[in-house]
Amino acid sequence: MALLQIAEPGQSPRPHQVKRAVGIDLGTTNSLVATVRGGRAAALPDTHGAVMLSSVVNYSEPGHPAVGEQARAMAGQSPGDTLVSVKRFMGRGRHDAAGDAERARYQLADDEQGMVRFVTSSGDITPVEASAEILSALRVRAEQTLSGLLDGAVITVPAYFDEAQRQATKDAAALAGLSVLRLLNEPTAAAAAYGLDSAEEGVIAVYDLGGGTFDISILRLHRGVFEVLATGGDSALGGDDFDHEIARWALEQAGSPMLEAGQHRQLQQIARAAKEALSGQNEVTVPLSDLAGDLPVLTLTRPVFEALVQPLVKRTLRACKRCLRDAGLGAEQVENIVMVGGSTRVPLVRAAVSELFTREPLVDIDPDQVVAIGAAIQADILVGNRPEGDLLLLDVIPLSLGIETMGGLVEKIIPRNTTIPVARAQEFTTFKDGQLALAVHVVQGERELVDDCRSLARFELRGIPPMVAGAARVVVTYQVDADGLLNVSAREETNGVESQITVKPSFGLSEDEISGMIRDSFSYAEADKAARQLAEYRLDARQLIDGLAAALEADGDALLTPAERAALSQKMIDLDDLMHETNGQALKEATERLGRASEEFAARRMDQSIQQALSGISIDQLGQETQE
Amino acid sequence: MVSPDFKQNYFELFELPQQFEVDLTALGQRYRQLQQELHPDRFAGRTDHEQRVAVQYSALVNEAHDTLRRPLNRALYLLQLQGMSAEEVAAQQVDGGFLIEQMELREKLESIDDLVDPELVLEHLMDEVEEDIAAHQREFVHAFEKDDVPAAASACVKMQYLDKLLVEAEQLEASLMD
Repeated sequence: MALLQIAEPGQSPRPHQVKRAVGIDLGTTNSLVATVRGGRAAALPDTHGAVMLSSVVNYSEPGHPAVGEQARAMAGQSPGDTLVSVKRFMGRGRHDAAGDAERARYQLADDEQGMVRFVTSSGDITPVEASAEILSALRVRAEQTLSGLLDGAVITVPAYFDEAQRQATKDAAALAGLSVLRLLNEPTAAAAAYGLDSAEEGVIAVYDLGGGTFDISILRLHRGVFEVLATGGDSALGGDDFDHEIARWALEQAGSPMLEAGQHRQLQQIARAAKEALSGQNEVTVPLSDLAGDLPVLTLTRPVFEALVQPLVKRTLRACKRCLRDAGLGAEQVENIVMVGGSTRVPLVRAAVSELFTREPLVDIDPDQVVAIGAAIQADILVGNRPEGDLLLLDVIPLSLGIETMGGLVEKIIPRNTTIPVARAQEFTTFKDGQLALAVHVVQGERELVDDCRSLARFELRGIPPMVAGAARVVVTYQVDADGLLNVSAREETNGVESQITVKPSFGLSEDEISGMIRDSFSYAEADKAARQLAEYRLDARQLIDGLAAALEADGDALLTPAERAALSQKMIDLDDLMHETNGQALKEATERLGRASEEFAARRMDQSIQQALSGISIDQLGQETQE
Repeated sequence: MVSPDFKQNYFELFELPQQFEVDLTALGQRYRQLQQELHPDRFAGRTDHEQRVAVQYSALVNEAHDTLRRPLNRALYLLQLQGMSAEEVAAQQVDGGFLIEQMELREKLESIDDLVDPELVLEHLMDEVEEDIAAHQREFVHAFEKDDVPAAASACVKMQYLDKLLVEAEQLEASLMD
């Protein structure tokens, strides 16, 4: 019992003090926010009762971006200012973002370097800023519903998202004023949404056909621990492509008329409506006449539609088979298939999935909401609302991480599907006599040539003492944290020079850019920001005090001398006195002082819990506790 | 704060006897138990410092699990515990007969695209390689039990060769599927 307590104090200091935590599914087409209230996870509706927020931002009025349906409604009159599917542009450069057709819809800034920027009436906008507007809208919705500031959020990303795309998502959250507890892979979140209620054991596949991405993950659930065994997918294939197929077919049938950008948008919506209707009907009308009077009203039958999208469905099945092989399992060993994403309502998709796995997929939870619901559950755990901490998600990295070696080849340091967190070191040496520096080029991908992989970062280790070729010993360490974000360090062993980089992707934003955006952000006024900032400092201070108080109560006597304990208590009182202070800076500094002062105590507690974990309880005991 | 330094080796950490044969069920249970205690999610809301340490511990448990779970990694680790580094293992001599077999297997793999039913042939080839690996694992166990480290290392090198071949065969299988 003591063991479980050790892992928990500081997370739920007072039973009545439930923290506000949300899960956010930041989707290509729709986004939503969910939370756990009274033990039940549910998506939060807006004031009109709508749960889904269209992932659309309109920038036609400088200083007042519109988000959601309102923005979508403006698409007709200001197509260039209306940004849709920005998720496909996250963490991407001008030439590798999204598909050609999608790029063609926008005017892109001329920058050859850095992340793609859309030229709008409100200036150049990055996908990070547009995503931040969507996240802000959801944050405000949650804060209004829960009547107070959020303690933290879990934001979901496709498992297939690479380093640059993950970092961009985290940047957007920071810009939206969210404290990110964790980036969580969408399929893992979906599995968690089902896993808690059913308390099942076994192998689960999550088939996630989102608007813009396809993900497949194979997980094993065992006594509250989800292990991701393998993950795969296609980051350039989604339900939107089904719409594109219908739109292309319709244009062809109508004799390929030329359309303007606004009409293209409208056509996509008509196509989407047709796709959705075909899930329940065998035949629908496709009213191109809505675009222009001289265009026909077409009829699309389900067989024709299925023939159009068959190649796309096949691509998803191939990815499923690859993923099964990576997991070392046969399709028949999968006991449950969780369906995620609106497009999994398409009967052809369900039929194809049933056929592959030889069983019916689970569809009890709304496939549009299941990811946000799972994220909310994980947020609830991470913020400390569940003293039992009854669910643990062990995720993997989706793509191999490597380093450039001689001749433009890639040496893999961490292969894909390795469980995170992970740290791996590899030794390299100099290839010339007297070589004083070593260039480290970090890449991501499965291919053998550097040029075929994604470049993540470059840095140089300098100060290697002059030696003959091959004598220096440079150890390069890759560390990936639980969010899937990478930190690389290099160290020369003979003289100890060191160099380190937190990987900022090539198409990411610099710290300066981010803080600049936060400064310039027109989503909230100066005073507002100061108030928010102060509230955040107060929150940090309160969390530290509460956590420390609980920790002192549990272990203060055992791990501290009376003098140490008294000194720490005094600093807590000092900080508590500052709680009503309106000078945020003073509060922040006092919080940092207390944080530093408590580090040694924290370290002793950590050691103690490690010791207990290692010597600790038997498996039988663990089983009993988990079942309770 | 102490930096992660388990004095125990991976077998001790997982409460398993230090030998090639491993009870995978016990390994998995102990792995989940350790992660339940040490994963950074269990330290969410604690200081950055604690979080960082948890990441390091949790990474070490993952590494240990990965080492013990895969037969080849496990064999290499056992040799390492006997004082033989991976480089020393790689430098072991292998008999010529084995190398010729390897070349033949490799040629077969490279020419598989030209065949009428490449998938079937590939399946047979992979079965063959897996049987070979199992045979060399037995060879490893036998040598290791008799404390014949050089012979164990030589078996390990052969497992490495075959493992690499199997990875390539799997990649080929994937490209045939596409």
